[in-house]
Amino acid sequence: MSLSVLRLARFSARGLARDLRAPDVRALFVALALAVAASTMIGFFLDRLDRGLTRQASQLLGGDLVLEQGRPFDSELRGTLEEAGLVLSDQVDMVSMVSLGDAFQPASLKVVDGRYPLYGGVHVDLGEGVEVVARGPSPGEVWLAPRLALLLEAEIGDRVRLGESELVVGGLVEREPDQSAGFGSFNPRLMMHRDDMEATELVQDGSRVEFELLAAGPPDILDELAPLLERLRRDGMEVRDVRRDRPGLGSALERAERYLSLAGLAAVLLAGVAVAMSTRRYVDRHLDTAALLRCFGATQGELTRLFGLQLLWLALAASVLGALLGMAGQAALLALLTALLPMELPAPGMLPLWLGVFTALAVLVGFAGPTLLRLKKVSALKVLRRELDPLPASAWLVVAVASGVFGGLLWLYSGDPALALGLLLGGLVMLVVLWGLGSLLLGGVLRLAGRLPRDGAESGVTQALRLGGAQLARRRTASLGQLLAFAVTFFAMAMIALVRGDLLSTWEAQLPADTPNYFAINIQPQEREAFEASLSGAADARSALYPMVRGRITAINGMAPREAVPPEARGDNALRRELNLTWRETLPEGNRLVAGEWFGAEQQVESTGWYDEVAAEPGVERVPISMEDGLAERFGLTLGDTLTFTIGAADVVGEVTSLRDLDWDSFRPNFFVIFPPGVLERFGHSYITAFHLDEAEREVQRDLVRDFPGVTLLNVDAILAQVRDLLTRVTRAVEVVLAFVLLAGVSVLYAALTASRPVRAHESGLLRVFGAGNRLLSRVQGAEFAILGLASGLMGALLAELASAALYLAWLDLTPRLHLWLWLALPLGGALLIGAIGHLLSRDLRRQAPATSLGLLGET
Amino acid sequence: MNATSRKDTTPILHAERLSKQVISGERRLTILSDLAISVFPGETVAILGQSGAGKSTLLGLLAGLDLPTGGELEMFGHRLADLDEDGRARLRAGRVGFVFQNFQLLPTLTALENVLLPLELSPRSDSEQRAREWLTRVGLGERLDHLPKQLSGGEQQRVALARAFVTGAELVFADEPTGNLDPDTGERIIDALFSLNREAGTTLVLVTHDHALARRCDRCLRLEHGRLAEMHLDEVSA
Repeated sequence: MSLSVLRLARFSARGLARDLRAPDVRALFVALALAVAASTMIGFFLDRLDRGLTRQASQLLGGDLVLEQGRPFDSELRGTLEEAGLVLSDQVDMVSMVSLGDAFQPASLKVVDGRYPLYGGVHVDLGEGVEVVARGPSPGEVWLAPRLALLLEAEIGDRVRLGESELVVGGLVEREPDQSAGFGSFNPRLMMHRDDMEATELVQDGSRVEFELLAAGPPDILDELAPLLERLRRDGMEVRDVRRDRPGLGSALERAERYLSLAGLAAVLLAGVAVAMSTRRYVDRHLDTAALLRCFGATQGELTRLFGLQLLWLALAASVLGALLGMAGQAALLALLTALLPMELPAPGMLPLWLGVFTALAVLVGFAGPTLLRLKKVSALKVLRRELDPLPASAWLVVAVASGVFGGLLWLYSGDPALALGLLLGGLVMLVVLWGLGSLLLGGVLRLAGRLPRDGAESGVTQALRLGGAQLARRRTASLGQLLAFAVTFFAMAMIALVRGDLLSTWEAQLPADTPNYFAINIQPQEREAFEASLSGAADARSALYPMVRGRITAINGMAPREAVPPEARGDNALRRELNLTWRETLPEGNRLVAGEWFGAEQQVESTGWYDEVAAEPGVERVPISMEDGLAERFGLTLGDTLTFTIGAADVVGEVTSLRDLDWDSFRPNFFVIFPPGVLERFGHSYITAFHLDEAEREVQRDLVRDFPGVTLLNVDAILAQVRDLLTRVTRAVEVVLAFVLLAGVSVLYAALTASRPVRAHESGLLRVFGAGNRLLSRVQGAEFAILGLASGLMGALLAELASAALYLAWLDLTPRLHLWLWLALPLGGALLIGAIGHLLSRDLRRQAPATSLGLLGET
Repeated sequence: MNATSRKDTTPILHAERLSKQVISGERRLTILSDLAISVFPGETVAILGQSGAGKSTLLGLLAGLDLPTGGELEMFGHRLADLDEDGRARLRAGRVGFVFQNFQLLPTLTALENVLLPLELSPRSDSEQRAREWLTRVGLGERLDHLPKQLSGGEQQRVALARAFVTGAELVFADEPTGNLDPDTGERIIDALFSLNREAGTTLVLVTHDHALARRCDRCLRLEHGRLAEMHLDEVSA
């Protein structure tokens, strides 16, 4: 006879329904629901945030994908992109003179079509104050930057001349959604419609025009197009997409994503620990049922299926609740964020939901599986001899299966097998270390408890500590398990706080309040001192003035640059455009040498004579140069390689003698290549600097524009605001995720208390029988939990410190440091928290009559 | 009923040279040695013995819950040694009932659910109705939804009786069924047990140290020094 599947399913469902009264089943349900809620919420949120952030980055870029070249795009490429599902918008960038009456000014032209902008809106004053519109200028009109209007003394309604056309000034552009893209051009903006382009006759053969094709579409289309984009890059076309183009934003995004996944996994791991603990109690409680069923004729297979199915139903029910919670959580979170921030997130997809359910099942199999198998090993003879319990599942087996499954989840969520393996192995090593450390700690507690005075004069606290310690020591293995579980909880919480704190402080350090918000360029050498003097009173912070010479890389190691660099770098901007070169005696602020040595005194030659020698024998004498390590890496260059720069009509050969790491997010002037003093001075050069002006000091800007008409001032407030905005958004997300991790931690605590409840009840009952009052019982339980909390806190701190150091180095690319507060806060906080919660949750045990408490032990 | 009324000469339970030894520390303890027993369908057999005589061990072996270290044992004509643990379980399913000294009711299950438990393993369309009927027969028709902790000891044992007979078992093992009950309650339980047994025509193997209980059986066997000896009912003192 064997049970049919249907019958087994009904039997197991009925069994589960009856079991819902049991605390361990509730703990199991809560833990699984939390695992699902955490993973789906983070899944949904990440999915939407990722798409939202990508869209915002897309807004900065002008599209999800931007192609750029010096000639118009052919219809074949257009067709391919449109067929793939992308929305296209054409843009042309060029510099041209614009005039109004006698006033002439060079302007940076941005020619847009009817689809502009693909993302975001343009802040423009159309005559009735600044408003945000989702369009560009109409045919026949131009929009001017306020500075250009100021210089031309133009007002709305005036007609400006551009090439062969005259166009009406229709508005003043305050902010473009994609304005950071125009960083390379320092002339003030003029926006016009594409339909007017031909009539201006500005585009002639040989004129410097950049044609851009902006595309918007879902990320999967970009993924599908990856091979095509790679080919275009190899052919020399400039291809920018949201993740590649802006390293600052890209790395912030990447960190945020990694952090959120990490936090999500911490919640899942904690839920797993809770599941493992609850399952032990569940199995203990069902040993009698299993024995009876064996007695009545159930086979081992039937028992396995029966209890496995019960937990499967539980997991599915928990998944439904968890998924609802996760959906509600992310919806509430997004409602909150949307109210605060003008970023509309796309609707959530279904994938995170399935991922959540899968996670619950994986956690169940991984953390409960081996323990559950104990049920099938029950001997029917147990009905006659109660002591005949099957051996507990081997700790090694439990750890191995849980590790395997969790490793798989790590892989699934991080998408990085090497990282998953590294984290897992590190975690396992730590588990062994912790087990040893925990044993030592408990041994210490045992000895301490034994040494506490036992005479009549001992205080209540001493007595409670002695008895509490003794209880812990008696249940050595179980206590050690709980200690480790709490330690893992504290560890995870500490990790979240640590990573979160460090992430934010790194970001804030990158963008302090006095981050330069203005760039001044084209400062002529003769204006330098006067400009510095004007700034020194007004600006809070400013960078040094860097001389700037423009030069093009014309050879690398004597070969044509495109042949010398790896194929994927052939379309690199640095090869297509003139680079800004500078010279400097000392390493610039914010730069860090990663290889080679900075220029020595002997290399800083007086500005006369030395260069002539070089020029006389080009290729023989080389000038030392310092290169940005990212560019060197892209080009496959290292120390000793040479680059030939064409500056004006002359060539200069530089040998890479040092590599620098620098922070592109710093909003300071940064240079790919720095020369020693004495080489570039003889070429025409101007100076660049960055400084910060408060809102209140904005009149300084007017003075600067008036006093130094040739100097171009570039306000980067808008870009800064957008980046800050992004960081605020991520921080809020992080806090919500943290709440889920904490909930998962509490579920561990609940599960641990549930699991140890019968033993504790028995102990309380015994103490009661021997005459202990409520007060003493309460103190003893409090002391026991406090000791556990203290020890767990210590271990959690150690674990967090080690793991964070490893993570920072390997994953987050941050410098690790010691966190002393952790060593104080975790043990003390742990003692208080666990002590208080344990004390609270065992309240009803103290209320029970001793007979009931004693009867609890061994009951099913 | 006695040996002369055995309609079937094939024993439902048959053991020869049965022995059970266990290792305790470094010593080998012999609990049962060269023991023989045959139980025929419809018989009621009492196994008497002092505490620690090995009664429960013998019951475990006879019910196929444990394996002997030597000898032969057959249940329903199957050699138990030929069957693995699952095979022995399948042999018991629906054919063997149990009554335990400590009732062995599951505390989270109601009376009705406890009685339904063995029926879950033996597919029947009328399981629930059957369980209700048997509970009514033991006088608990009004207490179907009560949890064990809401029932007295005697009531709990009556639930256990209903559970033992509900599958239509051919063979019921009872291990000190009155051991946890006061004499009056115990008496009533025994009445119920024998009455149900009679009605169902079940074979009953009962382990007890209660002579009064043993005397109500067809046969009495004394377990002493690891061996069984047939007792005349007159030898069983009250």
